[in-house]
Amino acid sequence: MTLDQKRWVIGGLGFLFLLSLVSVQWLEVSRRRHEESGGRLGASAVSVPDASRQCVDCHSQVSTGIVDHWKGSTHAEKGVACLDCHKAGDKDADMFSHYGKQIATIVTPRDCASCHPSESAEFAVSHHSKAANILASLDNFLAETVEGSRVAFSPHSPTPGKAVNVVNGMAPANSGCQQCHGSVVAFQANDGGVVTMRDLKPDDKGQPTNLDAVGRIVRNESGKPQFSSTSWPNTGIGRINLDGSQGSCAACHSRHDFSARRARQPENCGKCHLGPDHPQKEIYDESKHGVAFRDLIGQMNLDAKPWVVGKDYSAAPTCATCHMSANMRNGMKITHDPGERISWTNRPPVSLVMDTDANHAVVTETDPEKRRAAIADTADAKRNRMKQVCSTCHTPDHINLFYRQYDDVVINYNEKFAKPGQAIMAALTDNGLLTKTQYDEQIEWTWYYLWHHEGRRARMGASMMAPDYTQWHGMFEVAERFYMKLIPEARAVTAAAARGGKAQGARAADATIDEILRRPEHQWLLKGAEAQADAIQQEMQRKYGQGRR
Amino acid sequence: MSTREEWIAERVPVSLQAVATMSNEPVPYHLKRWWFALGGTPAYLFTIQIITGILLAFYYQPSPTTAYESIRYITDEAAFGWYLRGLHKWGATLMIAAVVLHQMRVFFTGSYRRPRELNWMIGMTLLVCTLMLGFTGYSLVFEQLSYWGATVAANISDTVPVIGPLMKQGLLGGEIYNDRTLSRFFILHAAVLPVLLILVLVMHISLVRLLGVTELKFEGEEAQPARHFNFFPSHFYTELIIGLTLMILLSALATLLPVGMGPRANPLVTPDVIKPEWFFYVAFRWLKLFTGLTAVLTQGLIIFVMFFWPFIDDWLVRKFKYADISVWIGIVGALTIMGFTMWEALVAH
Repeated sequence: MTLDQKRWVIGGLGFLFLLSLVSVQWLEVSRRRHEESGGRLGASAVSVPDASRQCVDCHSQVSTGIVDHWKGSTHAEKGVACLDCHKAGDKDADMFSHYGKQIATIVTPRDCASCHPSESAEFAVSHHSKAANILASLDNFLAETVEGSRVAFSPHSPTPGKAVNVVNGMAPANSGCQQCHGSVVAFQANDGGVVTMRDLKPDDKGQPTNLDAVGRIVRNESGKPQFSSTSWPNTGIGRINLDGSQGSCAACHSRHDFSARRARQPENCGKCHLGPDHPQKEIYDESKHGVAFRDLIGQMNLDAKPWVVGKDYSAAPTCATCHMSANMRNGMKITHDPGERISWTNRPPVSLVMDTDANHAVVTETDPEKRRAAIADTADAKRNRMKQVCSTCHTPDHINLFYRQYDDVVINYNEKFAKPGQAIMAALTDNGLLTKTQYDEQIEWTWYYLWHHEGRRARMGASMMAPDYTQWHGMFEVAERFYMKLIPEARAVTAAAARGGKAQGARAADATIDEILRRPEHQWLLKGAEAQADAIQQEMQRKYGQGRR
Repeated sequence: MSTREEWIAERVPVSLQAVATMSNEPVPYHLKRWWFALGGTPAYLFTIQIITGILLAFYYQPSPTTAYESIRYITDEAAFGWYLRGLHKWGATLMIAAVVLHQMRVFFTGSYRRPRELNWMIGMTLLVCTLMLGFTGYSLVFEQLSYWGATVAANISDTVPVIGPLMKQGLLGGEIYNDRTLSRFFILHAAVLPVLLILVLVMHISLVRLLGVTELKFEGEEAQPARHFNFFPSHFYTELIIGLTLMILLSALATLLPVGMGPRANPLVTPDVIKPEWFFYVAFRWLKLFTGLTAVLTQGLIIFVMFFWPFIDDWLVRKFKYADISVWIGIVGALTIMGFTMWEALVAH
């Protein structure tokens, strides 16, 4: 071998060695950064931009937590700091001067859009961003009127140790519903009321056009506008902001670290998606997906950028995996509209197929031609997007048969209980046997429990493979509520109406109930199912020696 | 001679001219090529390590209760502490890389052959000293990985027949990692090993000076008489440029990839993944492939073979009558080392 050839050997091996050294160091640094940031705040090395240095220096002393959170964020790594998000324009309604800087307290999706336009646009058309529409719904009537009071009222006795002069009846809605659904952000007004976006009438740029409303905003001695406690603090996902934008990115990307890692974990969604009426988080926990996540969380690669199932991780899916994140089969496209992959809406009493129009609203048209014309995105297309996620781990047969099982549960619920329940309630209302006011009669609570709590649990349980929620917390309770509460209470209403001089209406409502109960699926109640009862008793006797009930 | 020179000559009876002649070594012409001028880089990086190490030692407190906090102080609070620590850490990485590159050049050009066999063995001693400096330095941080890395290393040395238990005792100052272990590591890292390395380095450079640099001739140069140029100023400038480039590289690394801190060492919690520093990845992967005693003994054998390679090479060349047999063995060996290192880096366990 000549010296020149040896020179190539040395050069080649030297290059390979340096290449492997660089690769190893890169892996080492990545691992170390992951270790250092895991669970700790403010771990990354950050440089504070000059414009925000004063904010960071001062808030490090007076509100250390937010600065520590920010220091641990990708924003901090990339030099995005306080003023980049909190700066406000001269004409903004919420602008105030703070140590020489013009800032606003609330950062809205419009602000986030200046750097994250596509994410903001996806979010803007999502059901999430419109979550505050609940403010004119049955649920809100419950919170604002039944649980609280739309009108403030005086206390009826003293509260020792606390001066209570007036009771805010909106408290259940303010601290309950609106913390998830979002408030209408309001400032205190100098006439004793509030100033909201509806008064400010913001233009396309989010700046108020009604300067009279701006003038009514109460400000403190340093000029800072004063929020109404009925609307702030609030990170509800559909918050209606002063600049006219809807939503709050911080609902999922908690301020001030805006952690993608946290947004990817089910606990993040669990702030709102849990409880008796929409226990998606608990359903997920019970499912095989949730069990795998808890066990394999160390393999979830939650800090990966991007975070593609099947590429960066495959240990388990989280809420984000299925509803929002990228996968190998969809061109690695992330969406901030979770509705893009949902094929049934299980929110209403009767589940609807998620054919949506150009405004992303569910199409309710029943005429086939008109319906076809109105649909912009079909439920099948949405389901196919979800199937792309499923297929990372499951075969097409598995996925299709699962969807068949899910469809069957929803349709069984719809046809056996939801549509009949709706028909019975309509018969009672239409025949004047119930008052127009909601929740002032027992049967209205019964019906609400049936579809809003138990019915949703059953359907959501089936959608995410939690058998206990589908059965015992779901269909079992739906059936018990229907047969043992709704029907007897409906009969009691008609009987009372007949006695009270509304015999015709009572007969009509009874006819509806009778027609429903004559259907084959309800036959067991009228005709009995004694053969099955005998078989069950014999089996109980054989197994446990307890044949008698 | 001026009065001042006479004054000095009377008290230090060494001729400046003789010193200049002795140190102004005639350098073979192939060293005009940069790739062959890397022998000085480990020495340059070692100098940086000594300077930054002394500055770090001003603050470092080698005790389990204070070590981690003192390094946190260096990193977060001391003026330019993060920079010094970054230079020291990346300097160590580059020094080991430079030693390996230098050794590869010597190996593949056969520069270890007669009469330079002993200098190869001295060079191997320098390599071992450098790796030991790396190991003891990493252990001083007293974070979870360095603590458990040291514990695992001590347990591995325990498996060596006959002297294993003594080695473990010598390393830890007891049966397990204890209050005295860190000061032991510190003395090894900051005094014993650097002094040993300096002594061996002096021997290494002295032999280079006495035997001269191996003269290499490329194609077309065989018939030409050996050409030389002066160490001063030509080669000195080359080394200076390499040194300045290294300093820029080190500063960039220390700034762009600052050295952080892992969780503090906790003897009660074993981390899910224990890894040594990167330069021991190859040995760690070997340990995972072959269990216990086999792995340790084979590693010992490999180091023994590397140490005595000039004599083994001589025997192989005579037996197989093929002068380049070492080149092919070297290629396989180098690729294996790189492959094992990457393998260990890529897997979690």
